[in-house]
Amino acid sequence: MHSIYNFVSGPLAWLAFILFIGGCLYRLISLMVLVHRKEKFIYSYMSLKYSLRSIFRWSTPFATENMRRHPALTIVAFAFHICLILTPLFLLAHVTLIEESWNLSWWTLPEGLAEIMTLIVVAACVFFLVRRLVNPEVRYVTSVSDYILLAIVAAPFITGFLVYYQWFGYQTLLILHILSGEVMLVAIPFTRLSHMLFAPLTRAYMGSEFGGVRHARDW
Amino acid sequence: MMMKWLKLILIAPALVGIILLPAFSQEDMEVVDDGGFSKKQRPPAIFRHDEHNEKAEIEDCNECHHVYEEGKKLEDESSEDQICSECHDEKGSGNTPGLRKAFHTNCKGCHLEQNKGPIMCGTCHVR
Repeated sequence: MHSIYNFVSGPLAWLAFILFIGGCLYRLISLMVLVHRKEKFIYSYMSLKYSLRSIFRWSTPFATENMRRHPALTIVAFAFHICLILTPLFLLAHVTLIEESWNLSWWTLPEGLAEIMTLIVVAACVFFLVRRLVNPEVRYVTSVSDYILLAIVAAPFITGFLVYYQWFGYQTLLILHILSGEVMLVAIPFTRLSHMLFAPLTRAYMGSEFGGVRHARDW
Repeated sequence: MMMKWLKLILIAPALVGIILLPAFSQEDMEVVDDGGFSKKQRPPAIFRHDEHNEKAEIEDCNECHHVYEEGKKLEDESSEDQICSECHDEKGSGNTPGLRKAFHTNCKGCHLEQNKGPIMCGTCHVR
């Protein structure tokens, strides 16, 4: 068990982070190259002001028309993304491991709060799953890969919760927890989870066009 | 009748003392509970002192109960008369690691080096 743990938390973690960071850079750079080759004209109307306005507006709950039309989805989506990003970054156990390896540490969430935030992520995943199954217009655009992606995102949080309470075979679950986190990291640049990188760019592009070209409101 | 009660009142605390005292001595140590943390966030690490040292074949106290001076371990000094948090406060300063890091380095560090003993969070901090 120890050698598997050492492997997944050592070399495999390095590999996952290299693929994650390298993959993100690769996707961003190839996007820039593509724009440069095919759609150079968008530089003529890209505007920092309208870009930031759009990013800010679409990061504010209930600011846009579509968010107001789907209040439940808006609340769940915002809570989900906030907890998804903050919980792993500020988790006591994660920061402790980084402190042991690199002598770096930072503020951590109280354990009880981290637990609630984990449950919010898992509950939101269930919401998204039910939404895909029940809502006809969402179901129409759903493929198998959407369910797989949802499972990839939910897995580190479900296993993390079980590991925290040390339920059902702690050592095996801890290894699965680390593995599932690594799978998710690698999946970010190479699947539709890449909206983590591209969403601000999409907003900047749309915001610039709606603000500077169409002189329309930023829906 | 009165004497009987008096005896009971005197003997009872003594009995409690006799039963409880060994629980605080090293032989019956079950966990590392230094008391130096202002807020405990995990259960204390399971550690049976004598059983551990017999199994790990540790003879010298200062293998763990070390004394450092200017970044160097003093080979013939040991600190088993002190509690860890006397030197390692929660935050740590300079070359002295904070209490949490000191415990982790002392236990897990050696387990990793020797390739023996628990290294996963919950194998020491058992709920």
